[in-house]
Amino acid sequence: MNQRTTPLQSIDTLGAMALDAPGGQPSVTPPADATVAAIASQFPANWLVIRNGKASDVAAQLPGLNVALTQDVLSIQVPAQLVHDGIVGLLFIDDTENGAGMSHARVVIELQAGSAVNIIEYHSTIGNAMHHAHCAMELSLAAGARCNFIRFQDRQTQHDQTGSLTATLDMDSQLHHTAFDLGGNVVRNELNIKLAGAGAMTCLYGLFMAGGDQHVENHSRVDHLVGPASSEQEYRGIAAGASRCVWRGVAVVHRGADGTNASQANHNLLLSAAAIIDATPQLEIYADDVKASHGTTFGGLDQNALFYLRTRGLDDAAARRLLIGAHAGKIVARSPLPALQARISEIVAQRVATLIAEEAP
Amino acid sequence: MLEINDLHASVGGSEILRGLSLSVRAGEVHAIMGPNGSGKSTLAQLIAGNDAYTVSRGTVELDGEDLLPLSPEERARRGIFLGFQYPVEIPGVNNAYLLKAALNARRKYAGLSEIDAFEFLKLARDKMAMLNMDPKFLNRGVNEGFSGGEKKRNEILQMAILEPRLAVLDETDSGLDIDALRAVANGVNALRDPDRAIILVTHYQRLLDYIEPDHVHVLSEGRIVRSGDKSLALQLEEKGYDWLREAASA
Amino acid sequence: MAIESDNIETLVNRRYQHGFVTEIENDSLPPGLDENVVCAISARKNEPKFMLEWRLRAYRQWQQMREPTWAQVHYPAIDYGAISYFSAPKSDANRPRSLDEVDPKLLETYDKLGIPLHERARLAGVAVDAVFDSVSVATTFKAKLSEAGVIFCPFSEAVQKHPELVQKYLGSVVPQRDNFFAALNSAVFSDGSFVYIPKGVRCPMELSTYFRINAANTGQFERTLIVADEDSYVSYLEGCTAPMRDENQLHAAVVELVALKNARIKYSTVQNWYPGDENGVGGIYNFVTKRGDCRGENAKISWTQVETGSAITWKYPSCILRGDNSVGEFYSVAVANNYQQADTGTKMIHIGRNTSSTIVSKGISAGHAQNSYRGLVRVMPQATGARNHTQCDSLLIGKDCGAHTFPYMEIRNPDAKIEHEATTSKISAEQLFYCRQRGIAEEDAVNMIVNGFCKEVFKELPMEFAVEAQNLLNVSLEGAVG
Repeated sequence: MNQRTTPLQSIDTLGAMALDAPGGQPSVTPPADATVAAIASQFPANWLVIRNGKASDVAAQLPGLNVALTQDVLSIQVPAQLVHDGIVGLLFIDDTENGAGMSHARVVIELQAGSAVNIIEYHSTIGNAMHHAHCAMELSLAAGARCNFIRFQDRQTQHDQTGSLTATLDMDSQLHHTAFDLGGNVVRNELNIKLAGAGAMTCLYGLFMAGGDQHVENHSRVDHLVGPASSEQEYRGIAAGASRCVWRGVAVVHRGADGTNASQANHNLLLSAAAIIDATPQLEIYADDVKASHGTTFGGLDQNALFYLRTRGLDDAAARRLLIGAHAGKIVARSPLPALQARISEIVAQRVATLIAEEAP
Repeated sequence: MLEINDLHASVGGSEILRGLSLSVRAGEVHAIMGPNGSGKSTLAQLIAGNDAYTVSRGTVELDGEDLLPLSPEERARRGIFLGFQYPVEIPGVNNAYLLKAALNARRKYAGLSEIDAFEFLKLARDKMAMLNMDPKFLNRGVNEGFSGGEKKRNEILQMAILEPRLAVLDETDSGLDIDALRAVANGVNALRDPDRAIILVTHYQRLLDYIEPDHVHVLSEGRIVRSGDKSLALQLEEKGYDWLREAASA
Repeated sequence: MAIESDNIETLVNRRYQHGFVTEIENDSLPPGLDENVVCAISARKNEPKFMLEWRLRAYRQWQQMREPTWAQVHYPAIDYGAISYFSAPKSDANRPRSLDEVDPKLLETYDKLGIPLHERARLAGVAVDAVFDSVSVATTFKAKLSEAGVIFCPFSEAVQKHPELVQKYLGSVVPQRDNFFAALNSAVFSDGSFVYIPKGVRCPMELSTYFRINAANTGQFERTLIVADEDSYVSYLEGCTAPMRDENQLHAAVVELVALKNARIKYSTVQNWYPGDENGVGGIYNFVTKRGDCRGENAKISWTQVETGSAITWKYPSCILRGDNSVGEFYSVAVANNYQQADTGTKMIHIGRNTSSTIVSKGISAGHAQNSYRGLVRVMPQATGARNHTQCDSLLIGKDCGAHTFPYMEIRNPDAKIEHEATTSKISAEQLFYCRQRGIAEEDAVNMIVNGFCKEVFKELPMEFAVEAQNLLNVSLEGAVG
């Protein structure tokens, strides 16, 4: 494979760089740059920018990591025993100023034995034309590797996204993944996690919030191939307007995977009569020594709690904000990368406010 | 009554007991003390017949009968009772039902007739009154949702009903507040009997303020390193287990 | 502590006690299915024209349908052309008017099954409509029931005597083309039970039917219809055993329940069809459609089932909660041992306001069995105030079995409160050791723990059924632990 290693530069230099695509056509328009800069200023990470599915030559400095780029694949390798304590940002930005389009991105991340890395993946779009973005990501964690991972999706509501993350976890490795879906038109995310080594552990958390006629699906599947190993899933949904959300969580405990601990939880808040959330938690268990559980709840806002808050002087909207925010906040609090939590919390609160406004009479 | 001679035992390949010998006569109360990992709980589990532990050498006899080939239920029917350090929850199984089944298994072995539900309830109520326990306990699932103190009290209730020849109480004092400890100790004291032997396995001397032992043994690294009367427990309390380790290695 | 799972398995294997075949001549149709067969079945039963037309419509729809494959069960393809669709005991020609007239061999069969029919009927006050090889041969306590105005009779008799009720309600809960097996049943059903409880009547006794498959290679297509008119109550018990056979036998029953305003129906099943031997040879394929419709306000339908038999179980007793404030319940224990496969659960469809449903499912897997819970909770947009609580627990005994949970939740109303909890665990070595330390033999300890696990469901069964169910459970798991 003809890979070339990309010279890495800091995001700070972005504005000053001449960004020319082959053939001399400018591939980036100023609003995109502004968005990139805005996101970068909000989230303290070293950002690699993937624009309309292509990683550009401009990338952040990732000391110690091997970053390689072919035409189609961005690959990042974390060398054995390296503990990378910064945050690697992967900024997927799709620009539709020049009309409708599609983009495909493929990312391969390899954590070698004993290494550790923090990653945030941010999906955003600019412009009003239709766009469909697809991102396929592969993640492998060798023995003892640790990865904290946030996927944050805040696209325009006329943009579609499909994406998958396939991760294989070797012995004693850990993946802590949290997904946020705030925007998008039709969105479908898949997580496929294979626990292939004894002692592997994964936590998969997610928050999806939808209004209007958004359609947001999250499908997560954990394969316990060996034991002991543990997986924990918790997804929370908030649906307003005429939106439709789907959560499907599957845990498969394969033959011989004794000592498995697998739990799934899914809690949903429906804010309108036309909003729909469908949930199918599934457990398939072919081993003996297994502890598995799932819990799912559905409901509207607790009217008693709402009333209680209003007797304490909060207006209706403030009380709703508080209750919905509390529902969403549980996932924010469970997300890794504490440095990012405050900002994520703010964006989530803003989205809560727009959902409430949508439902206001 | 109980004769343990040169017992070597291991769990999961690592040797825990390394030549332990102990002799307990009817009517006696023995306290086995020792630091964490010294093999106290292993000894208790072994006497009860937990097959997770493998005996490589040595003998365990009850009234001259070799215990080692016997299953846990066979030992129980001969009058061995283990008070568990962590009593197990069995959801949905009525506490009274388990107790009655256990009592009848023991009676049947002894050639006695099975006790009927009415007699059993009367017996259980008497014992509960003696232990100052709420009769509601009987109708709950075995240890299901019990607090730590309730579980331990439930163990003592079972012991009171089953009237064992030899009771081994594993860390019965752990996790108890002072009132619960006193209640448990009163229960044990009430069950002291010239025909019955009691082995108390404990980490702290505290329990022995309430239940006075005839003999105190200190276990270290799988062996009894010192035996004495109750004053040994006080000495230990004062000087700590390191004192004995030093003494042992000296 | 290490109680070997292998040991556990040896404890659970007692042979099926109800395995024997009664030698009675059968009047059977040759294998195969076409419109002529449907006509022949209808003709033999002397059915009115509407019934024949209904069957033929079902048959034509069935021909367009395909066998469902979504369940977590695997079995060799069923050759529907090799099945004989009608079989009646010879004695059908002159039906007995009382038990004295019943073929003594038949009564002997019931004895072997531990169902001394008249004894049990008299002592327990239970009217038994025993279905033997598709045709009802004995119905008791008719007088007492008819005094109350209750109709409890073989389905074929209801077609003759109460055609207006049959025509009004048949297929109104499970339409002909509801699913592949329901369509097949609608075309060829042989017999079953019919119950009508008039307005304001509390049925004076529990109604009970024992089903039994006998003739080899005969699919069983039972059809049961229970209608509880306004303000009435009925408790219905269904129990099955089957003789030992090497060939697989297809069973596709349909049960329809209709509860009008303020009516309550309690339907309890102990299912013990022949499950196949310890190598998975033989056993009944049980594809059942059971559904209740709470058609009026405040109606309540409660399903309780203990499923220990059949090689394949495909069964989802469901409730349509149409009336405001109506209530649906589903309590289930499903045991699968050896090579049994069970895919069972329920559907709760909330349509009316303030409807509520409860689901308690306990699945036990042992041997090489696969046991799945599949359940749907759907809340329609108009079902304001809907409530559901689902508790779904699986217990694993041994390392070669599987336990699966497939709940589907489709919630269309923001005012609904839906809670679903599921757990999977094994009988812990600690629990077993604890019981054994108290002097209880391992086998008894396992039974005790399993029965404790199922307690929430057993307490829903009528008393004598609960005892039977516990015994059945112990027998079913024999050899699974040891």
